[in-house]
Parts: sequence; C-alpha cells; structure tokens
Amino acid sequence: MSDRLSFSLQINGEEHALAVAPERTLLEVLREELRATGTRRGCDQGSCGACMVLVDGEPRLSCLSLAVTLRGRAITTIEGVETAGALHPVQRALIQHGAVQCGFCMSGIVVTAKALLDHNPSPTLDEIRQALGSNVCRCSGYAKVIEAIASLSKVRPHE
Amino acid sequence: MRYAEPATVEEGVALLASTQNARCLAGGATLVAMMNARHLAPELLISLHRMAELSILTETPEGLWLGAMLPHRALADEPRLRGAMEVIRSAASQLAHPAIRNMGTIGGSLCLADPSTELPVALVAASAHAEIAGPEGRRIIPVESLLVDRFQTSLRHGELVTRIWVPRGGPGAVGHHLRFSRVASDYPTVSISLVLALEGGTCRQARVAVGSCGPVPLHVEAADQRLVGSALDAPALAEAGQLLARAATPRDDVRGTAEYRRLLIPRLLGRAVAQARERLHV
Repeated sequence: MSDRLSFSLQINGEEHALAVAPERTLLEVLREELRATGTRRGCDQGSCGACMVLVDGEPRLSCLSLAVTLRGRAITTIEGVETAGALHPVQRALIQHGAVQCGFCMSGIVVTAKALLDHNPSPTLDEIRQALGSNVCRCSGYAKVIEAIASLSKVRPHE
Repeated sequence: MRYAEPATVEEGVALLASTQNARCLAGGATLVAMMNARHLAPELLISLHRMAELSILTETPEGLWLGAMLPHRALADEPRLRGAMEVIRSAASQLAHPAIRNMGTIGGSLCLADPSTELPVALVAASAHAEIAGPEGRRIIPVESLLVDRFQTSLRHGELVTRIWVPRGGPGAVGHHLRFSRVASDYPTVSISLVLALEGGTCRQARVAVGSCGPVPLHVEAADQRLVGSALDAPALAEAGQLLARAATPRDDVRGTAEYRRLLIPRLLGRAVAQARERLHV
C-alpha cells in the first residue's frame, strides 16, 4: 500500500478529513473509511452503476473515481438524498410503483434519477431510458423503474 | 504508488520522463478500472486535471483545438462542433453510457487506442491532428500516425497529448457517426465515421473510417476516391463498401464474427451516408 495522503472531501454538504492511499477510490473511501454503505460495490469496472454518486450534480461512477482527485468537489451520495428524514420523491415513486426488488441497484438508480429530474423536470420516456443507461438492474426488467420516474415528470405546457 | 498533480504540462512531462512506470490519469474511466482489476499498478500516477490548458477549446477560422481533458459529454453538447467537425460530436454523444461520458476524455480515449471505441474512428474521419508535448518540446502529428496498433500509440517516453486539432472541412461538409451495437452503451460491433461534402448531387469530398474492424481505425483512400465524383448512388456505395470490407481485419468476438463484421461494413456505409445526406438536406 502506498503512503497515505491527507485531504478532505465534501460529502453531502459536510467536510470529511481523510488520510488514504492515492489509489483508493471514492467508493472504497465511502464504504470503508466513512462507513457510508448505501453506495454499493458492484462490478468495480464502471459497467453496472451500483456505485453511482453525484459530483457537482452529475452522475459519476465512484468505483472509477480516485478519491484524491475529487477535492473541492460537491459529492452527493444516497445518504444525502433524503431531507429531514423524509424520502426523496424518486424514492417514494419507486416504492409506490413496486420498482424496488432486491434493492441492490437502487442507490445508483435513485441518484441518477435525481440528477435527471434536477436538470430536466419534464423528461420523456426516452430521455429517462437514456439517462438510466449507466444503471444495470437484474430483477426489475426496468419497466416499473421507468414508470416510477415518469410519474414525477412535470407535464409540458403543450402536451 | 506515488501520486502527483502538476499544474503545468511542462512539469507533467518532466515527471513522466523521469519515471519508468508512470501513467497519466485523465478521466480514469479505463485506467482506474484496470487498476481495480490488478492489471496495472503504476509506480507514479500523474493526474492531468490541474493542467488548465488541457480543458480549453479554441476556435479559429480553420477549425477547433480541443483540449485533451474535455470530457465526452462536453463534446456531445458542443455547438461549435458543426459541419465536418460534427462527426466528433456525433461519436461523443453515442459512446458508452452517460456516466462514462461524464468521466472519459477525448485525450484519454485517443491515447488508450482501443480499436473498438468511437472517438479514434471519428478523429481519423475528421483528419484530426494531435499536439504532443514531450521532453524536446511540442509536435503535431496526424491522429492516424499516433494510432499504431491495438491499445498502442506512437507516443514516446515522457510524452503526453495536450490538444487535438479538428479542421473545419470544405464548404457544405457534414460529419456523421453511426454505431451498430447489440444494445445501446455496449461497444459497437462495427462503427462508421464519415465526412462528406456534396455539390449539386455530386460528392466532392469523402473520408470514411471504420471502427472495430482492425487494430486501428480502418481508412482506405481508394474507398474515399470511389465516392468522390459519384452521386453516392447504390453502385458507388456498394463498391466503396467492398473496398473497405476487403481491407478490414476484424476479429471474432462476442459482439460478432469477423465474417459478420465484413458483411456489415457496406450495409452500414450506405446507412451512414443516407443519414449524413439527411442532415445536408440533399
């Protein structure tokens, strides 16, 4: 293991002082140093999206992001999505539509869908499918997931 | 492993030149995946993300300079990549999936020299050049001479790509990228990048590159020439497609057999040209 580097990361609005080796990924730091285990470890290759977090509001694969490179960036994990103990509308919609099955992929899907709706409150079904292109789920078949997110899409004025 | 974040290209080059097993970290999408899989363990990782000049896009009357650290997503959203240069925007908007497009960079993709991915193919079709910084200063070479084999570039020890030159192309030129893949976000079975210019109904300029069909993007001068001067009619497209298919050296893999890939080339060429012509409205 390499020498540790000391730096801090801003995660869900809080600064966290760290001393970790440069090759440690954000995923490892979240789960092993900070015990924030809501972000899942899936493939470690950027193929499944289970480890998705937001960096400055954009979906990013924490398994492929070295923690040290994210100094000064605003990181949002699944733990930062709830407000005052209330589920995020995306989380509520997924439950209401029966989209959550084993749940392993859900942290990644929730943060990806949150980012989509933050940027585009009225996504079309196709835009939802495109935005979720980085997230693999092996039990839902995606139909319920897409329905749930579409239920939050604001109606466009001319539609 | 040691880690460095130099603020200038010159500092980065000095570090790169003074270490045997050093690697440049651009977006990390491939390098970190390889480190996670224990395929790579660099002695020194040189992050490029504090080198401000690598994130700059410069427009000139002749074309655009694209900083090596521009992510795919920025290129996919870049309105100045139009006309012939649109082939870059088109390829960047289709490759891999959204999170990878947020992370991966044009310089990283070029230097990885993966024969199955999109941007090297689009850069060859666009007649792009790479600016390379090294211990002896900077040089500019065609992308075609940077890409020498599967996952292999002609970069020398201590060199890194700083920016990429994309020429604007002739008047009325249009660029387009077409990928054929089993599902969206998979690597393409075959991809085609092209730049065309028409005058009346006659093709005045054509440059076609094919991906996933050999160790480097396939470019056959004779295929381009078969299209130039033609009306891009069925015989011209079929013959150009055959010239490309005969020159291709694809592999059998899970995404398609070599034979299947050769069969796809002429079909996809016709489709790519038709889509490009729709953009030109001719």
